[in-house]
Amino acid sequence: MTATTTQPTLLRRALALPQAKIGLALTTVVVGVAVLGPWVGPWLTGHDTTGFAGKPFQSGGIAGTDGLGRDVFTRFLSGGLTLLIYAVLATALGLVLGAALGMFAGYSGGRLDSLIMRGSDVLLSFPQLVFALLAIAMIGPEGWLLVLVIGITHAPRVARVARQSTVAVKDADFIRAARMYAMPRRRILLREVLPNITGPLMVELGLRLTYSIGYVASLSFLGLGIQPPTADWGLMINENRIALVVEPWGVVLPVLAIAVLTVGTNLITDSLASAAARTSNAGTSHSAKEASA
Amino acid sequence: MSLDNHDTRISRRKFLLGSAALAGAVPFLSACGGRSDAAAAPTGPPKRGGTLRVGVTGGGASDSLDPHSPTTNPDIARVRNLYEPLVYRDHDYEVSYLVAEKLEPSADAATWTATLRKDIRFHDGRPVTPADVVATFRRIMDPDDPKSGAASLSMLDSVTAKGDRQVEFHLSEPSAVFADYLGQYSLGIVPADFDVAKPVGTGPFRAESFTAGLQSRFVRNPHYWRPDRPYLDELVLINFTEDDARINALLASQVDAIDQVPVALVDVLRSDERMRILSSETGTWLPFTMRVDRPPFDDVRVRQALRLVVDREQMINQVLSGQGRVGNDLYAPFDPAYASELPQRTQDIAEARRLLAEAGKSNLDIELVTAPIQAGAVEAAQVFQQQAKAAGVNVRLRRVDTTTFYGDNYLKWDFAQDFWYTRNYLPQVANGSLPDSPYNETHWQDPEFVRLVRTANRTSDTGKRARLLKQAQRIEYERGGLIVWGFVNQVDAHQVYVAGLVPDRTGLPLSGYSFGHVWLG
Repeated sequence: MTATTTQPTLLRRALALPQAKIGLALTTVVVGVAVLGPWVGPWLTGHDTTGFAGKPFQSGGIAGTDGLGRDVFTRFLSGGLTLLIYAVLATALGLVLGAALGMFAGYSGGRLDSLIMRGSDVLLSFPQLVFALLAIAMIGPEGWLLVLVIGITHAPRVARVARQSTVAVKDADFIRAARMYAMPRRRILLREVLPNITGPLMVELGLRLTYSIGYVASLSFLGLGIQPPTADWGLMINENRIALVVEPWGVVLPVLAIAVLTVGTNLITDSLASAAARTSNAGTSHSAKEASA
Repeated sequence: MSLDNHDTRISRRKFLLGSAALAGAVPFLSACGGRSDAAAAPTGPPKRGGTLRVGVTGGGASDSLDPHSPTTNPDIARVRNLYEPLVYRDHDYEVSYLVAEKLEPSADAATWTATLRKDIRFHDGRPVTPADVVATFRRIMDPDDPKSGAASLSMLDSVTAKGDRQVEFHLSEPSAVFADYLGQYSLGIVPADFDVAKPVGTGPFRAESFTAGLQSRFVRNPHYWRPDRPYLDELVLINFTEDDARINALLASQVDAIDQVPVALVDVLRSDERMRILSSETGTWLPFTMRVDRPPFDDVRVRQALRLVVDREQMINQVLSGQGRVGNDLYAPFDPAYASELPQRTQDIAEARRLLAEAGKSNLDIELVTAPIQAGAVEAAQVFQQQAKAAGVNVRLRRVDTTTFYGDNYLKWDFAQDFWYTRNYLPQVANGSLPDSPYNETHWQDPEFVRLVRTANRTSDTGKRARLLKQAQRIEYERGGLIVWGFVNQVDAHQVYVAGLVPDRTGLPLSGYSFGHVWLG
């Protein structure tokens, strides 16, 4: 198996599933709102995200005003982009770091493997959100820190999956062949191992992205993520929850957006997992046939 | 800032669950006929009897019945009803007499003499003697374990009994406003053999049961010195840490009154005919604090410019939903010497720009440290940031948590916020505006101001003292480091059948948590 044949097949197979189509549609809608919202919002409503549009928690406009009299709909449209960027960056960091460590540990084996994996076990023993809270309480609510801390806490989880998958392929004939040709280890990992573990890694990508969205939103809700007066979905839920009875949109819109986004990414992840499982089953049965032959 | 300032801060990190429950409960409760069977507000003379259940914000495992160390709101509510100080600020913020019937200074204001009420008795029926008062102050000022009330009694040298009913307070430096310092809820008079396990005081209620972090049950004090009071047979104070739970309990009639209604929900409660909103104008303020010894705030033109960028009306409307009054960069609005003659400062962007340009600080870029130290604080910072833009001032908000705010850097932040309850001018100055004040956030140490205040402290003549205080206020108005944009209303709520709760200027919720005059219709 190589990257050129597996990846499109996996993606194509995954996207052929109905749940992937629904997931893609949901994700596209929310990502569309988040990406275009900051530009469309002020044009559509005539308000900016921090200006005052009326009295606090006043009805009127599309979704009323928040506790400071700012237009809720404008803030909603502008509130997803930062969350999305942070979540994507944190996921990318966690995936790259985790995959590198896992592949290295799995391929090397022995003491190095034990050292890396026990180290990641230590990190795994901290609940992710608690670890993030600790770091942010010590250093302060900085955007880079949010990305770093969520990324780092994703890494050991990704590393476990990457290691497991690497161990499964490291004694395959094509890798033995590469070793015989004295191919450097880094090249073997990147050229031979990585393309063969993309299936599980893509499932991890989807899963970690879903978690990242949740963590960034949670930290902002707790006042430790994105800072006021920036419009942000997590922060909006906190700012407006006290008036849920009076002006629910300030809470309902961001909650809906986050929910739809996480359901969407989860559905895509599920489809990827199903497709990867089928691919691997197909591979196994193919090998079994070969063996019996 | 004093202990009571820290302890009533409202936690903002609460979860959605309560709100969701509230969202579900309100329509349900309205449907249950809240309006159709709405009770009428009680009229006529007060009635005796009944139990009042009050939902109070905060509290926890460290709750206590100690008269001299109340920290949380439930602690304060308990102390206010079990014990009484010699004198206290009434609802209009005037000194009223409780255990003492008279309090008079000597000619030089260095000795004050309190005369105890005739026939005043503790809960157990024993009469209050001067020896009890002396022992009370010994307990408060115990050098090994000073209580919270001791912080503002630094000028108190000694307390001695004089005759059957008099007590003398000898001061290390004269103070014409010593009554202000004595009028604190944390200075309740207790017997000389006081034991917190058997809490005895002179308050309208005596303790029946108490569970820290949960609730306390008090019953009528049969020996109370005010005839016919209290009207209630029983008072139950219940802790609530969540806003939503407290409001829900009121809507579901599980409690008869609650403190601290979030301003956003005032209209919701007001629209329910079973409920009454109790909104009190107070002297509570949420200033922005500029350090006058640090650039760029060491330039008075920058300080004045920042005061001029504030649209105070907008602050009141956007931050407090209208539940407040505009400020004029001065505190202590209920002090008889309050400088009301100074013109109300209003937003003047052109003048602010001119002052900044003159100071060479056009396009000023500053950091404002904010924290959820009190409802409205972070919101006020955001509105200020927005308003400052108009004068070309870029305000960067740095939001920290409350622990960090009051941590090592408290009183060191260049530009931050704070909050204070109602005080008269001199006690507030002693707390925050003198070089040796414990909470001088702005590092204000103007020599002329200090001289005026020190002279005023020694001046017994009310008229002369008022003139000195007005001069001192003018200095703060012209070059001080505080932006006092407004005074916050205290908003509470109760069932319509609860009578006797009146607006209270002290800043303490629910008529200053004094339930001796409350009755049920």
